[in-house]
Amino acid sequence: MSLTSRITHHASRFTHHTSRFTFDILLVGVGGQGVLSIGEIVAEAACRRSIPVNLYPIKGMAQRGGFVKAQVRLGREVTGPNIPQKGADLVIAMERSEALKAVRFVRPGGDFVLFDHVWVPMAVMLGKADYPTPEQVSEQIQEAGGRMHYLAPESLPLYKGVPVPANIFVLGAAVGHTRLADVLSPSDIVQIVQTKWTRGMERNVFAFQAGLEAPIQES
Amino acid sequence: METKLLTGNQALALGALHAGVRVVTGYPGTPSTEALACLLALEPEGVYVEWSTNEKVALEIAAGASWAGQRALCTMKMSGLNVAYDSLISIAYSGCIGGLVVYVADDPGVHAGMAEQDSRGFALMSDLPMLDPASVEEAYRLMRSAFELSERVGSPVFVRLVGAVAHSQAPVEVEEPAPIPRRKAKLVRDIARFTKAGSAICTAQHRDLLARLEKAARVIGEMGLNRLQLASKAGGLGIVASGVTASYLEEGFEIAARFGFERGAVSVLWITAVNPFPTDEVRALLRHSSTILVLEELEPYIEKGICVEARRMGFTGRIVGKLDGPFERVGEYGVEQVVRGIGAALSLPIPDDLFQGSEAAESLAAERPITFCAGCPHRGTFMAINRAIRKAGYKKNEVVVTGDIGCTILGMNPPFHTAWTEVSMGASVGLAQGFVHGGAETPVIATIGDSTLFHAGIPGLINAVQHQVPLTLVILDNGWTSMTGMQVNPGTDETFQRPGDRRVDIAELIPALGVERFFIIDPFDLDEAAATIQKALELPGVKVVLSRQECAIQAMRRGIRAGKVRVIPENCNLCKLCITHTGCPAIGIDEDTIVIDPALCYGCGLCAQVCNREAIERVGESASQRVSESAIERGSEGARE
Repeated sequence: MSLTSRITHHASRFTHHTSRFTFDILLVGVGGQGVLSIGEIVAEAACRRSIPVNLYPIKGMAQRGGFVKAQVRLGREVTGPNIPQKGADLVIAMERSEALKAVRFVRPGGDFVLFDHVWVPMAVMLGKADYPTPEQVSEQIQEAGGRMHYLAPESLPLYKGVPVPANIFVLGAAVGHTRLADVLSPSDIVQIVQTKWTRGMERNVFAFQAGLEAPIQES
Repeated sequence: METKLLTGNQALALGALHAGVRVVTGYPGTPSTEALACLLALEPEGVYVEWSTNEKVALEIAAGASWAGQRALCTMKMSGLNVAYDSLISIAYSGCIGGLVVYVADDPGVHAGMAEQDSRGFALMSDLPMLDPASVEEAYRLMRSAFELSERVGSPVFVRLVGAVAHSQAPVEVEEPAPIPRRKAKLVRDIARFTKAGSAICTAQHRDLLARLEKAARVIGEMGLNRLQLASKAGGLGIVASGVTASYLEEGFEIAARFGFERGAVSVLWITAVNPFPTDEVRALLRHSSTILVLEELEPYIEKGICVEARRMGFTGRIVGKLDGPFERVGEYGVEQVVRGIGAALSLPIPDDLFQGSEAAESLAAERPITFCAGCPHRGTFMAINRAIRKAGYKKNEVVVTGDIGCTILGMNPPFHTAWTEVSMGASVGLAQGFVHGGAETPVIATIGDSTLFHAGIPGLINAVQHQVPLTLVILDNGWTSMTGMQVNPGTDETFQRPGDRRVDIAELIPALGVERFFIIDPFDLDEAAATIQKALELPGVKVVLSRQECAIQAMRRGIRAGKVRVIPENCNLCKLCITHTGCPAIGIDEDTIVIDPALCYGCGLCAQVCNREAIERVGESASQRVSESAIERGSEGARE
């Protein structure tokens, strides 16, 4: 789909029920993947454009390798923090198994970016529990009506021989390939990335730009 | 005026600061922690901020400051309010002088753990005003109202946030006030107000308390904290929403409009001040409406209040909520409850699957029980407890190990399966004594972290010493209040205490309590630690084992590692003993050998100690030696009795 047709589609979608523009994003992953940083960057980018925003991270066990979730709600002056089931315009999942916990939140027709990183729990490592296949996840996303954008973990590019931070890369991919592009400006995000982490600034900007052009499998 | 992206906790803290708060105390607890933490980091001039030993102490300090005429704030999670409540109710009956605000964070849906309680009930029981901001922006704005209300009425005021608001981040228009002059302390001796000696004083205080609550209702009315919007035509639906639930109304109205809902025909009462009950507004709404929909998370406190007013007024319409309606007392509310409530109240055709996503997907997800971080010293302690139980000749399910609050409770999860109970701060010590008196014929072990011991574990230990109850208390001392994000506690090394503050050393405290059988172990030395715990299990009386190594996250932040380990792949037969014993997140599996992630590994060496094929070796100096050189002095000196 070309960018122009995407915007047209988008506009018609939002004028359907209300003249106001709203966009709900659900981020999921495992502690340590930088899921919450994606949320913070999006929230700040929204602030720069005076788009009302509420970011609600659930990070209790982040440090201990547990499930992490963040919800970003854009466009409502007054908004509750939680996105309802079947309500997310965009889901960004950073881990294959955790992606399944987000499926019931995607809006039919909404975008679902899956970075197919695998982080196996101990029971799986020991062969005592099952772990989902990519096919199972993709089937569930499609059944829920989500438009899946698949990012293989191998697509993570190297910068000076070292893999770039996956979270910034995946954010880039979401901006480059989903309707998030209609909401946020890539140049705002580059600026935010530059000021957020002064160390490794070039690496992060490289990661974001690589994400914009990332080889995504759409389905 | 400046727009800042703030969390609910930060907004509340900044609101207090801009309202001229002078003393801030609290105890860490998710989801409230960040409010005090951000003030501590700001170090505002002329404001005293501290993490107190527990919430009761924190509240007493804040109340003392208020009685000296200053504005004071006390912060805690809902479970902390249970601890502080003994003092709180007395302070409520005495009232306050300087504005006194108690911030309590509830956790509907339980994202952090502990009982899913509704702290609004405490405001009802203590007859104190309570404000319940619906959003981050309100959390900032209402702090000024809370302090003003507190001083105008002479009563402590609760501000309650739910986790979803406390942790949310949103833009807030912040207005820094002109410098607020410092008040001179005014010391008032008034035993009729500040003591509870005798019936005359106490009943008079009770009357004063009720009079203050009545005055609070008037002041809240003047301040316009609750908002009533009546539809132009009477006889329609009246909606009552309080706290965070109110923030979902507009979204719910938009969705319900697709099914025939008319916004203009509905009256709405937004309740921000949940106590005292907004009688006037509720009566006006009842007079104007034929049906009432009550949207409030957890307990139906407002709904019951409305039922009382309805009865007094002879209102005969339906009241849709939890008592007679579609809602549960468990979990968070969202836009779904708004839409379903409207559907139920107006008989609109809301499809059943409107908010019903696929649960099949989630059932395919792998379980991910959380465990100790790589390098966590608690891992070694629980491995040692398990080994000591086995070597003492018992099966694991024969020996009661009571657990306690904080990171240490992860000893209940795989691969340890050690802790049996989690009740409240310090409860492990009392529960263990109960199991002994209850007739346990096997040794009873209690486990507790350092901050939890200081908070509420010491009275239980004194009780065990006085009554000479045979048990083994294992104190897992990692030097920090870690679960809530690394706060300093009384036992934290002096280097990290505020200048002028002093460390209270658990190693000196325990013998001073009369504990005669006291051992110090290094959790990274598995053989020695397990042998010491086994010895303790076999001795009579009260035994205390202090297991000491610093929190690995904190040590690694300063660039310290306990040591280095190396995998020797040719020796590894993938028996996975290292994984099944330690559950360490740094260990993974490759083609035909285990692998250790060098970025995560702290070098504690526990995996090397359980490997029986010499496939993991320690490189360089030994763990305990290396770490004992670091800032926190540790007990690698071995067992002492």
